[in-house]
Amino acid sequence: MTEHPTTAPAPKKGGGGRFFVGLVGVTLVVTYLIWTGVTETMVYYLTPTELMARVQEDPTFREMGVKVSGQLVKGSWQRIGPNHHRFEITDLEDPQSVVTIEYADGLPDTFNDQADVEVVAEGRLRDDGVFEATLVLTKCGSRYEAAPEDLAG
Amino acid sequence: MTLLGEIALWVALPVALWGTVLSFVGGRQDRGDLVLSGERAVHAVFALLLVVSAGIIAAFLGDRFEYWYVASYSNRDLDTYYKISGLWAGQRGSLVFWALLLSLFSSITVFGNRFKNREFMPYVTGTLLAISSFFLIVLLFANVNPFERLDFLPADGQGLNPQLQNYWMTIHPPTLYLGFTAFTVPFAFAISALLTGRLDARWLVLTRRWILLSWFFLTNGIVFGMRWAYEELGWGGYWFWDPVENASLLPWLTATAFLHSIQIQENRGMLKVWNMGLVTLTFLLTVFATFLTRSGLIESVHTFAQELTIAVIFLTFMGLLTIICTVLIVWRWPLLKTENQIQSFVSRESAFLFNNLIFLGAAFTVLWGTLLPLITEGLMGEKIAVGPPFFNRVNIPIGLALLALMGIGPVIAWRRASTRNLRKNFLFPMLFGIGVFAAFAVAGSRQWMALTTFGLSAFVLAIVFVEFWKGTRARARIEGEGAARAFYHLVARNRRRWGGYIVHVGVVMIFTAFAGEAFDDEITQTVNPGDQILISSPFGHDYTLEYQGVSTTLRTGNMAWQAMAFLTVSKNGRPVGTMTSEKRMYFTWEAPVTEVGILSSPLEDLYVIFEDAEDLAGAVQNEAGSQQVTLEVQVNPLVGWIWYGGLIMTIGSLIAIWPSRGSIPATSVAHVEPEPAAAAV
Repeated sequence: MTEHPTTAPAPKKGGGGRFFVGLVGVTLVVTYLIWTGVTETMVYYLTPTELMARVQEDPTFREMGVKVSGQLVKGSWQRIGPNHHRFEITDLEDPQSVVTIEYADGLPDTFNDQADVEVVAEGRLRDDGVFEATLVLTKCGSRYEAAPEDLAG
Repeated sequence: MTLLGEIALWVALPVALWGTVLSFVGGRQDRGDLVLSGERAVHAVFALLLVVSAGIIAAFLGDRFEYWYVASYSNRDLDTYYKISGLWAGQRGSLVFWALLLSLFSSITVFGNRFKNREFMPYVTGTLLAISSFFLIVLLFANVNPFERLDFLPADGQGLNPQLQNYWMTIHPPTLYLGFTAFTVPFAFAISALLTGRLDARWLVLTRRWILLSWFFLTNGIVFGMRWAYEELGWGGYWFWDPVENASLLPWLTATAFLHSIQIQENRGMLKVWNMGLVTLTFLLTVFATFLTRSGLIESVHTFAQELTIAVIFLTFMGLLTIICTVLIVWRWPLLKTENQIQSFVSRESAFLFNNLIFLGAAFTVLWGTLLPLITEGLMGEKIAVGPPFFNRVNIPIGLALLALMGIGPVIAWRRASTRNLRKNFLFPMLFGIGVFAAFAVAGSRQWMALTTFGLSAFVLAIVFVEFWKGTRARARIEGEGAARAFYHLVARNRRRWGGYIVHVGVVMIFTAFAGEAFDDEITQTVNPGDQILISSPFGHDYTLEYQGVSTTLRTGNMAWQAMAFLTVSKNGRPVGTMTSEKRMYFTWEAPVTEVGILSSPLEDLYVIFEDAEDLAGAVQNEAGSQQVTLEVQVNPLVGWIWYGGLIMTIGSLIAIWPSRGSIPATSVAHVEPEPAAAAV
């Protein structure tokens, strides 16, 4: 913080305009980036019920990359090869709706089929009805929080 | 103690509310006695919140599992260290901790200004107390009371998730919270400036150090979180564009923009409305982040009814603040008129303006991407999500533009840069940057984004280096000092400027580390003892990791067992050491936890993840036939530069924040500067 630059007689017109030119320019570029980014990388985020309904309606929907989220079915996890897993998830609101998922990568530590775990799997539905995941994440209600109500039992 | 804490929480709210009313009325009617009572309320609230916090910690230390919060985050065997940090382990305690830090900063502000800046203080005090009141209301009435009791007494608590039992995780949340709460002080001064009509740069000068302090904590908090994710989450990355991470990045982006735009207001009397908007936006985003980091809003709106209460309260508060601030700014519009105009796009004002617009653009893309599932569900009835590919794709060009501006901004002339100014300051750094880019391209690399980052980084470093060199040389010549002494005095005489440059060097290192990610290599392999995993580094050497088997220790510390996959590592055939990655079973946690192995060197990390074991139970029993495991090995080039860069940013911001001994006469600084145009920072 030294001296202030001496205030030159500023041209009254055009200067404020430059501010808005910059504003509009940056806004346009950012909008373009967001638009192309969203259209090219977006995935549908569905529940098992919604996923089944969409595929029923339009079989080509299988080609779409989707995220499907639901409750991990207790005791459903099995190993089908080294680092290759299969498990089931159900709809939180409709336990009848089940999706079988296969995943050939390391599962997160919070993945535990003996506890109440919500799973988000990204990937696509194969023709045989199995969802092949490229990424599996778990979500805990409040991150990493357990419900002490369970202690009562 | 705990009961006392609970009582203190109930007492704190009326005190804070009463203090708020007294301060605003006192300010309005110019009643010194009321103002003084309001200020006493600030100290009282701080004292009460200390008691509340002590009560929670006492409950943790005393294993009082009748409290929901303690039962959820602790158990008898937990280390004392983690019991104390239980205060901020979950949402409820975090809210108390937030209120505690805010009241601490409020007390410091009120005490530090007890004899000066009195024209601002009534409304500053009132605003600070009003925000404290809000957090106390949330704590007491939004189903998040930390003293809520269970209707039974559990024998033991749930224990703390082992992934949170990590050094970085104990300091990451409090550091972020220090950053969030410290920003409340500049916000309170802004509100006071609007209410009193003292809308020159005075409020900025008074809060400059608070802004820097907040920024310092936010930066460190984010870097600590990255370190934790890298060490503990076990996928080899440090940033996943998770809503919680994004929430902490948002205020950092707008605070960084603000830090730059206030220099334009101080020097040129421009961007006054803009700065009011930025300070409000940043404060709102700190509140948003506080709320989001400890709730599951984005991830699961429909599952948690109790989250909904708190969501409604927070959103109402944020909406109310937005309305109040907008009304105040519109009301004071005539006083916020700009004193100057931008005369040319080739000027420092313009560089800073673009810096601001782009930072805001980045914040908007992050916010948009984070909230997209909520927005699309609301508008179209179905959730559409974007992940890391979206954020990387959008933010890489934005980051590169900011990197370029980081070189241009500090040395381009004010008002209108002459061709001479441009040639003198930019010719050498530009050639240097192009040279670095070309050197990598000639060497055969085709990662254009990464090469552009390296080239721009070289450009910025050259500019900073030349500035330091010119400044030191000029000072050495004029004052007849030795180089080291001249350098020291140069920095000491204008710490905000030179500290800022040092921060820029840290940022360059971090950008370089991000670009290094383009050269990551990884391999996943299922191995038996004696098998080798081969992986090559982009720096030209090869690693051979030979798997030796799993070695298990039973009943060790708070673990039921600890199974270590053991590897010997050689680099180009020469042994360099051993690595282990583990599966651990804690007594208090139902599933095994993975610990990665990291072999760090200044240029790259070798990173091993124990992904899976065919027969983990057998491996735990050390059975010879059950040693087959799946391991993922990664070479992460330059990842360490994030931590080094973070450290340099810390040093730079500390230099800028450190209180000066008395004020420095302007002339003594001006005459050592190499060029008049650059002197007016």
